[in-house]
Amino acid sequence: MALTALTAQRLVRRTGHAFAPLLWIGPAVALIGVVVLWPVVVMFHASVQHISPDGFVLGSAGGKNYSNLWHEPALSGVIWRTVIWVVAVVFVTILLSLALAQLFNQRFPGRRVARWALIAPWAASVMMTALIFRWALDANNGVINIFLHDLGIVHKLGSSQADWLGRPTVALVWMMIVAVFVSLPFTTYALLAGLQTIPEEVYEAARMDGANRWRMYFSVTLPLLRPAVLVATLINVINVFNSFPIIWEMTRGGPGYDTANTTVFMFIIKQPYPGEGAAMSVINFGLVIVVVVLFLRLTRWKEQVD
Amino acid sequence: MKRSIITAIAGAAAVALALSSCSSSGGDKGNNGGKSGGAVTLKLVAADYGTGPANASQKYWQGIADDFHKQNPTITVKVTTINWNDFDTQVQTLIQNHQYPDITEGDYFSNYAQEGLLYSASDVLSNPGNLLPVFAKQGSYNGTQYGMPFTTSSRTLFYNKKLFSAAGITSAPQTWADVQTDAAAIKAKGDIGFGLPLGSEEAQAEALLWFLGNGGNYQDASGKWAIDSAQNVETMTFLKGLVSAGDTEPNPGTKNRTDLWKQFAAGKIGMINGSPALIPIIQAGGALTDSDWTSVPIAGKTGPLSSTLGVCDNVAAFKANKHQAEIKKFLDFAYQDKYQIQFDKEYDLLPATTSASNALASDPIFGPFLKALPQAVQYPSDTSWATVKTQIQHTLGTAVTGDPKSVLSALQSTAKKGS
Repeated sequence: MALTALTAQRLVRRTGHAFAPLLWIGPAVALIGVVVLWPVVVMFHASVQHISPDGFVLGSAGGKNYSNLWHEPALSGVIWRTVIWVVAVVFVTILLSLALAQLFNQRFPGRRVARWALIAPWAASVMMTALIFRWALDANNGVINIFLHDLGIVHKLGSSQADWLGRPTVALVWMMIVAVFVSLPFTTYALLAGLQTIPEEVYEAARMDGANRWRMYFSVTLPLLRPAVLVATLINVINVFNSFPIIWEMTRGGPGYDTANTTVFMFIIKQPYPGEGAAMSVINFGLVIVVVVLFLRLTRWKEQVD
Repeated sequence: MKRSIITAIAGAAAVALALSSCSSSGGDKGNNGGKSGGAVTLKLVAADYGTGPANASQKYWQGIADDFHKQNPTITVKVTTINWNDFDTQVQTLIQNHQYPDITEGDYFSNYAQEGLLYSASDVLSNPGNLLPVFAKQGSYNGTQYGMPFTTSSRTLFYNKKLFSAAGITSAPQTWADVQTDAAAIKAKGDIGFGLPLGSEEAQAEALLWFLGNGGNYQDASGKWAIDSAQNVETMTFLKGLVSAGDTEPNPGTKNRTDLWKQFAAGKIGMINGSPALIPIIQAGGALTDSDWTSVPIAGKTGPLSSTLGVCDNVAAFKANKHQAEIKKFLDFAYQDKYQIQFDKEYDLLPATTSASNALASDPIFGPFLKALPQAVQYPSDTSWATVKTQIQHTLGTAVTGDPKSVLSALQSTAKKGS
């Protein structure tokens, strides 16, 4: 079994060559392994363990965490709410961003300032934005309420009508507005970048053929913008699905769990039942993957973006 | 060949870890390395009782920590304060992740004692007998006291005399019927009749105050869970009626004590259950003078409560970092009467030691509250209380809009299930 010095040397040189690239991609691979894959493994593992509220593993739970979760009366409402939340927020965001991107693509005085201003909701922390909206919606002194009161829309400050965040359905609508508000900058910029890749010649040709503005938008701009819209939608779906700070800061998922989405619900139940919280995370993780795969399938992603 | 892959990956992982840990440096350094060279850092995590930067608890504890450090140069106390809304969650997260503090001051749960995480009171106090005996049971597990009361308070009913006289009411509310008619009269004048904080901050306290008024509680006399008892269902049904008549603030299930106390201080609420800690908020609000409000025993179904809810916030000492001797030194120091009294004056709360109570017994503000303490009713000391309390905070508020019986039954089954 003794290796000659020569073959050993050759082996070292060969493997050295083979693993040279690893030196470069290694850190990235390790980073992904440590901060992305490992937590997923831990999450799956935790979801089948019986863990005390103080973080002690009391043994295997088998499928108990999942069955407990399944029997949570709030679960189905939470999942439906999450679906509605994602669809509504992403749809409205894309729609508004298409219009905004079109606007910012025009030349007008002050465009540079306006483009900068659009970054503000993006640059501010989401938690801060949510807190500002919560105070602005305060039933007694909130600036939005005072404004609406002056307009005669809110009849009396401090009333149930002015208490927007106290009624679950209305609270959800307001939080969706905030979610759209914070998603707009990124989406608009993604679409704006897409718009700028459309060559002027295509429009010229369309104009020569006698297309009017609407026709040009629907037959030229939108089809050419498709890759940008797809990327923006996909990233928004993932982001909005996992929305936590907005709901947590504005209603904490209450009253009861009536405004909680899956992430907020997971956070609430992980406190007393860490294992069940992990099971909820697994479900959430699965849902995101299913949604993303479906989306990619439906949009024939590869053909579009390649 | 295999080795080289492993070394390469390990090396890269180390680089990645070093890179990613840059941003989160600090924090845990005192944890294990604390003992080197005889110098020890104690990690103290306390709830913030302040209403703003001026009276933040960080200041109070830092003051003690500095005085202590002067006398014990080898021990440094690192103070962290957390606002009340997040205190339980954050401390529990620290513990779930095994990043143990040495000392906590705020809510205490007997499950920490059950898990064997804590030093007992006699391990870390030279004179544990000085702690108020009435709270000993709540801090005890299997007959040994682990939770050491640091500050206490008792609850009374505050009402706004100005709003009362404007609504033509002449006497203090004593029964639920009084509360109902008075609240309706105040509401008719355009203000909020009764402030009912059933949101996630402290729903468990507000609910218990009402349960007590109907002879109910979370547990029955034998210590069995009785959250969905007939009395409690009746109590929540009464509250539901109060809410649907519009005699409270809108949507009480989403409203927190802190916010409603501020509204009471602004003169917009007729009645609210409060503790002495409400007094400085009223004074800072500037809308009510001392003669505009008063506090009386809490109204029950047929008459005022003879024993109110006594709440104590506890100190707990964690074993994980093995700092018993240092913790004992610090706690003996921090429990001196002068610091107890300083705390009580700062936040209008009550002392938790016999010697400090005696020193304050004749005080005009604290005297009456102190007198009520020995009969005080307390939260369950059960190990599943932490879990039950979280559920109460999140769901109890829905009992006044939904079906009281089913909400309370769900809580009862949570309590019975344990953790």
